[in-house]
Amino acid sequence: MDAEDWESCSNDEVSVHGINNDDDDEENCYSSGFLSKLQFRKDISKAVWVDDLAMAEVVEKKGKMWVTMGIVRSGNTYCFIEETLFLIEIGALHLLDEKGICLSLKEVYDKLSFEKSGCFWELFEVYRHLKSLGYVVGRHGIPWSVKGQKTKAGNCTLQGSQERNELLEMDSKDNNTIIELFHNMQITEVSPAFDVFLPNSKFRKSSPGDPSFVVYLSRGTPPSRVEIEALERKHGPIALKFCHVENGRVSFFSFDRVELAVLP
Amino acid sequence: MKPRWKGKGSEAKAIADPMSKIVSLLQSSMVQSETCGLLSSCSVLVEVDAELADLLNRACFGRPRITAEKDKQWFQLDMEEAFYLCFSLRCLKVVGEDGCIKSNEELWEDLKSKKTVFPVSYKAYSHLRHKSWVVRSGLQYGVDFVAYRHHPALVHSEYAVLALLEGGNDQNGRLRVWSDVHCTVRLCGSVAKTLLIVIVNDNCQGAATPSCLEHYTVEERTITRWNPEQSREDQAVL
Repeated sequence: MDAEDWESCSNDEVSVHGINNDDDDEENCYSSGFLSKLQFRKDISKAVWVDDLAMAEVVEKKGKMWVTMGIVRSGNTYCFIEETLFLIEIGALHLLDEKGICLSLKEVYDKLSFEKSGCFWELFEVYRHLKSLGYVVGRHGIPWSVKGQKTKAGNCTLQGSQERNELLEMDSKDNNTIIELFHNMQITEVSPAFDVFLPNSKFRKSSPGDPSFVVYLSRGTPPSRVEIEALERKHGPIALKFCHVENGRVSFFSFDRVELAVLP
Repeated sequence: MKPRWKGKGSEAKAIADPMSKIVSLLQSSMVQSETCGLLSSCSVLVEVDAELADLLNRACFGRPRITAEKDKQWFQLDMEEAFYLCFSLRCLKVVGEDGCIKSNEELWEDLKSKKTVFPVSYKAYSHLRHKSWVVRSGLQYGVDFVAYRHHPALVHSEYAVLALLEGGNDQNGRLRVWSDVHCTVRLCGSVAKTLLIVIVNDNCQGAATPSCLEHYTVEERTITRWNPEQSREDQAVL
């Protein structure tokens, strides 16, 4: 028998189109085609920033995006900083301070750095990346809507109201958990991030159902097997994705458990 | 990724000729011939007749060495392959420079002294071989092994395998940082393979003797990159 090296014969170098065309990215972000995709709107919604909540209360809704953005509490809609910032960047929202003065983009970027906001730059990049592609994205563990009585007046009248206290209580508890986890960055390398639903799904805040997957953002090193397993136990059948953001690039990885077949 | 068979009829050939059977034939043939190999540094050299040479090739153990010898053929086995034939299949004996046959424990010590992570890489190798996957060196792809569904002449390898010790810190420092993950996944993708990590847990048994291996457990995970641009409609792709 010929001493043929059958392994080197196999040409495993394949150019598989479409799988990793990342080289296009660098070009794309500077081309005019990309910029024109940002639709600067005429119908601009309005919201008021509530410092205590570190959230924006929506006072004027325009456009269809409200079906998949903001959380509803007692008939009012509130946005987290990442949603607010996303909408401002695409020109779909004016954010006012409590005196009614429109906040500059710079001032809103500033708010992102506040601990209370429960978010930070890389997490915002993940949010923005998925939202721009049409996914429905919400903070994990925060209900999209909670039934309750409607407030009588829409604008900035939460001072001292029962709804405000409830809202504060509920969200500050979640925010504290997130903040705690940020502080624990040294110990766990991942932080809870987002529930993600596929675009074009018939998403309803009143009954969102299970997300398609949950995204965890890693800031330091890749997650260990122990961490992954703990999260898998927590989420049961829901798929997990681990996200890494660096130099403005958002990458998603799955570390799925498998079992190779026993072959005949 | 689906298996990529090479040419028409390859899949049928593979089905008609299961790898487990080929390995079984190899095993009995080697036992019958009382095959003996020589440990030379990190390789084991075996002299075999035509029948055995054919079985070694069909089962994908070792690499044939081209020599001027006419009647006999020489094969060179990697550490994991040699130990699998000795310890798991019990069909090979190995002698050292002194000409004495080594016990499994002696051979284990020898191999560990040459490659510190041998227990981990061997566990991963034998885990896949037990399931009748063909496992070969993955050096040219920057990984430990590549795994084939059948003979490499019939099918391209589907998995690029890294054998990692449980506990997060791979002794060889692979996938320690995100750029490593990016790099390895990208490379695997460019050669149409899925990155498979075989996580070996020694369950605090240590590696004093090969019998410790029995108590090791193994977990398989794939590391794949998800592209949000491509999967928006298809739930199944997630």
